[in-house]
Amino acid sequence: MSANTYDAIVIGSGISGGWAAKELTQKGLKTIMLERGRNIEHIKDYVNATKDPWEFPHRGGRTQKMIEDYPVLKRDYPLNETNLDYWASDKDSPYTEIKRFDWFRGYHVGGRSLMWGRQSYRWADVDFEANLKDGIAVDWPIRYKDIAPWYSYAEQFAGISGNKDGLPILPDGDFMPPMEMNVVEKDVSKRLKEFYKEARHMIIGRTANITVPHNNRTNCQYRNKCWLGCPFGAYFSTQSATLPAAMATGNLTVRPWSIVTKILYDKDTKKAKGVEVLDAETNKTYEYFAKIVFVNASTINSAWILMNSATDVWEGGLGSSSGELGHNLMDHHLNVSAYGRIEGYEDKYYFGRRANGFYIPRYRNLNGEKRDYIRGFGYQGSASREGWSRDIAELNIGGAFKDALTEPGSWHIGMGAFGETLPYHENKVTIDKTKKDKWGLPVVAIDAELKANELKMRIDMEKDGKEMLEAIGAKEVQTSSTNPFLGRGIHEMGTARMGRDPKTSVLNQWNQVWDAKNVFVTDGSCMTSAACQNPSLTYMALTARAANYAVDALKKGEI
Amino acid sequence: MDRRTVIKNLALIIGGAALLPACSQDKAKSKVALKNIDITADQEQLIGDVAETIIPKTTTPGAKDLQLHLFVLKMLDDCYKKEDQQAFVTGMGHFADQSKKLYSKTFDQLDIKTREAFLLDIEQEGKAEEAAAQKNGDKKDAAPATISAGKYSPELKKFYSIVKRQTINGYTNSKYFMTNIVVYELVPGRYNAHFPYKQKQAV
Repeated sequence: MSANTYDAIVIGSGISGGWAAKELTQKGLKTIMLERGRNIEHIKDYVNATKDPWEFPHRGGRTQKMIEDYPVLKRDYPLNETNLDYWASDKDSPYTEIKRFDWFRGYHVGGRSLMWGRQSYRWADVDFEANLKDGIAVDWPIRYKDIAPWYSYAEQFAGISGNKDGLPILPDGDFMPPMEMNVVEKDVSKRLKEFYKEARHMIIGRTANITVPHNNRTNCQYRNKCWLGCPFGAYFSTQSATLPAAMATGNLTVRPWSIVTKILYDKDTKKAKGVEVLDAETNKTYEYFAKIVFVNASTINSAWILMNSATDVWEGGLGSSSGELGHNLMDHHLNVSAYGRIEGYEDKYYFGRRANGFYIPRYRNLNGEKRDYIRGFGYQGSASREGWSRDIAELNIGGAFKDALTEPGSWHIGMGAFGETLPYHENKVTIDKTKKDKWGLPVVAIDAELKANELKMRIDMEKDGKEMLEAIGAKEVQTSSTNPFLGRGIHEMGTARMGRDPKTSVLNQWNQVWDAKNVFVTDGSCMTSAACQNPSLTYMALTARAANYAVDALKKGEI
Repeated sequence: MDRRTVIKNLALIIGGAALLPACSQDKAKSKVALKNIDITADQEQLIGDVAETIIPKTTTPGAKDLQLHLFVLKMLDDCYKKEDQQAFVTGMGHFADQSKKLYSKTFDQLDIKTREAFLLDIEQEGKAEEAAAQKNGDKKDAAPATISAGKYSPELKKFYSIVKRQTINGYTNSKYFMTNIVVYELVPGRYNAHFPYKQKQAV
């Protein structure tokens, strides 16, 4: 066995790559995990995680220099002073936007598992059956019962806190004790349920923050600084959870600075034999060999790697025989929100910074309802008391104003909608050979947009937000609906979809590439539809399920 | 940003007292190291006086004690666009002129009450304009709002709004405020969803 030969290769070290590495190594496979960016060591490299707010020179804001350096990231909240180093450089790694697509990336060990929103929801059968019922795209090759045990498995290891709410649209899981709603949220939740006669619900968010100690990780300390990396390991990330488990087996090698440029495909065996790596520091090329390859480079980059591979056999790359590779790019569409003031409760406050909010699961187009669009949306939000930025009438300067700044303002409630995006063949990524990145590699071109179904849904997202806040008694309700573009959800999905037929899908029901049975793709690219729930928990479950299948198949000599 | 600047910045934000002088040789220059704007010691003094009017020293430290005017300059230098920086400097000149024109005194010669009245008058004019603009915005075919014919130039109002915004930002995020005035804990360790709260007598 040569030094560059392993049992398994995992491309990428984010949420799904970390899971693949854990599962494969725990099943005894010598595995190498290839990460295109630098290493970030748990705790030691979370350089800003224990700083106080006043220790940031610009109090967490953005400088003109940052705005110049990050032409994409600047479009939304991720550009900030506190975790700038966790976001990929837009200048080193440019891409082509045929239509606007806000692509926010993390190129380092752990990937976006360090900065993710941590909301963790199961999908229901209504989601897995949706394409078939609506007669669009292709049917998912799996149903809820196929993934349910793997959801449990993923939840038990990752540590998901949540309440068993008993809602069919949002199946309960194996939860740790939930975080608590504050006094206003509890009352609002009650009022919402009454007003809509139990057809709509506001529940505490289900989040990958542990609320009791778990696997040598300390429970959440209510700092709400999760995207800096947690020194307590209280939220799920590659570093806090899957990486230590994989390292403990003695079977894992992690190689940072390793840009996988292609999967090496063997025409005779019709399987992958390894990958080609460009060392991001030295620009030298290496080959690594293995019996199986897991592709977890994140939706758009996984498609890029596949499109670059086996081009001597298929012009469009490995997995392109269906004509679907790179197509059906999805996200959740955001930037529709509602906000209002809640009267009363002046004698109530909260202490601690809860890294979580409430969730209103989807209620549209269910139980026989038919809107002028299909699918639906959910809301995430919270109630809180205003701080200093409020306008204090007639007391805008001076000693009395200074005193007033020490008092919390009135209660407000705000929430934003997450809408399902349909898989459209025309929404796609391709390779733009005319533009090169820092390493001379051709970049991706993204050509995707919201269409009529999403735009009609956004009208309801705004209207319903207002109606619900008014129904629960909020005053001065304002809504906002801006930037109807893809990418901002940071939930890219669909570029190598699963299906039942090699003619119309890239992957089968085990996330195997139809055209190379020892290649498994288990990040967001495998998704056949998008639902409206945050997708990462589903990637975890699908990855564990696929790894289990892969190792079985390997042992049986099937791959 | 080089290491030296980082250290200076840290010194600036940690408590304020440990501020390193940028140009100790040149007494006429501002105390804080600035890359993009040129501020004299007199102008720095003026910004300090405006900031102190917004957050005065009472039984607790005020803007000058906490060196919030230097924080305002740091933010202006790093975080604002060139045109905003230019407007700030121009507006600062208009502000000084206006003080002489309206009150026949420089701002630092005014008593506290007059300083407050001056600043509130600027705020009021800004608010009235905003309200008018919003009203116009509601009418689809309305002509664009005419240039303000008020007492204060747009640059003056820009200057004032930046000083105010960043003074409050600096104050409410200062170590003094977060450790002495409100209870901030880096590691709360718990979430109390029903924390009882009693409004203070002052308000």
